[in-house]
Amino acid sequence: MRPLRTLLWLEWRRSGVWAVVLLSSLLFWAWGLHQVRFVDVGRQVAVRAGLLTVAAVVGALVLCLMVGRIRSETRHGQYQVLLLTPPSGYAHVLARFGFAAATAVVYYVIIGGLFWWTFARAGVGFDAEAAVELLLACPLYGVGLTVLPALAWTLLLMVFISAYRVSGPGWIPGTVMILGTPFALRWIVDGLVDVSYRLPPWRLLDSVGVAVETMPQDADAQIELLRASLLGVPQEPFWAMLALAAVMLLVAGRLWQEVEG
Amino acid sequence: MLAALDRVTKRYVRSEGVQELTLSFPAGEVVGVLGLNGGGKSTLLKLLAGLLFPTAGRVRVFDGAPRANRAQIVYLGESDALWPWMRPTDAARFMRGLHKDFDSARFAELAGALQVPNRKTRAMSKGERGRLRLAMALARSARLYLLDEPLAGIDLISREKILGSIVHEWHTDETILLSTHEVAEAEGLFDRVIYLREGRLALDARAEALREAGKSVVDVFREVLT
Repeated sequence: MRPLRTLLWLEWRRSGVWAVVLLSSLLFWAWGLHQVRFVDVGRQVAVRAGLLTVAAVVGALVLCLMVGRIRSETRHGQYQVLLLTPPSGYAHVLARFGFAAATAVVYYVIIGGLFWWTFARAGVGFDAEAAVELLLACPLYGVGLTVLPALAWTLLLMVFISAYRVSGPGWIPGTVMILGTPFALRWIVDGLVDVSYRLPPWRLLDSVGVAVETMPQDADAQIELLRASLLGVPQEPFWAMLALAAVMLLVAGRLWQEVEG
Repeated sequence: MLAALDRVTKRYVRSEGVQELTLSFPAGEVVGVLGLNGGGKSTLLKLLAGLLFPTAGRVRVFDGAPRANRAQIVYLGESDALWPWMRPTDAARFMRGLHKDFDSARFAELAGALQVPNRKTRAMSKGERGRLRLAMALARSARLYLLDEPLAGIDLISREKILGSIVHEWHTDETILLSTHEVAEAEGLFDRVIYLREGRLALDARAEALREAGKSVVDVFREVLT
């Protein structure tokens, strides 16, 4: 009996097509980047960065849809089968989250690679350290700060709704949670702004910034943007959002034990 | 006592599942749970499986909450409940990985005996899926089996195979609760029958006692429920 391994295998079989399609969609975005052919290098970088930002947002939405597919499983009875398996709710939630998080890491690291390509096309030469920052550190910081909490929130929302679906109107807790989220988010952001930079910042884009110095003169806007980031990114929001994701997963795992099917 | 319900009521958003139900199930019985549609059969089985929590009253299985003891309960729900990409080999891997009491060799034997084809469930007929689900359920060594309409929508030959497997695989320390509309076909299996009407217990009788009184389970079904 290997519960976590089996649940991860199940996730791969359930959601593998979603993950493969999502990762393959990066070919489309790469093709889109290739079509941007402005002579003005600064504009070229800006449009390409804009496209990659859209790809990042679309990816997060698709990943949230992937982990939140509990309703269709409920309709077809598969959720009931899972509810009655011996592994705890924490294991089920962890497997769903783990598979989506792994997909997210691969997806955003590739987006980091596309950013690298964008800068390289603009004439920016990277040393090894800058490449690692752009390919790994920046995507992982972004994923930890935004995507992982979003996935945990989606899982919690779906489990929360299903916990009340059979014996009560499940849309009420769902609506409460969705309406309450913007207020909670604002409170969290305010709090994070207050505590940011108390710990030493992470100079994620430090060497990238130095590399950007070699950019052509018409890329002023991008240079300024990157220079601003030379201050370094605060580590407090990263840890706080990871902790928040962990708390949401724990609550979802506990609620799983109360879900009716 | 293997399982017991004490004055259990279950309410849904717009209806009542069961009302004031008090029942107990010792080890070693095959119990027929009979009733018309909406009678509360599925609700009763789901309460015992831990898929539903009572609105009032208490459900105990192996002296604890059913969900806490889910590893010792086999529940076969009425929906198809299998992923469409699953082949029998995937089903075996799924069960082996999650259920300690799952016997792969027994599953292979059962799947062979029940003539489960080796293809994805999306390409199986309802009867074939039903037989695969039954093989998955009976390849476990639990003590409480809750089988909700395992014969529904299944052809006569498959029904006979399923009933044959239930009889063949049953051990004297196990209790099976079987809900079915195919009362006549399953009648010979039952030690005890529970008739539910509109969520309430209409009759709880030993099958042998009914037979001694010159009545069949089907006769009493008609008497009590219509």
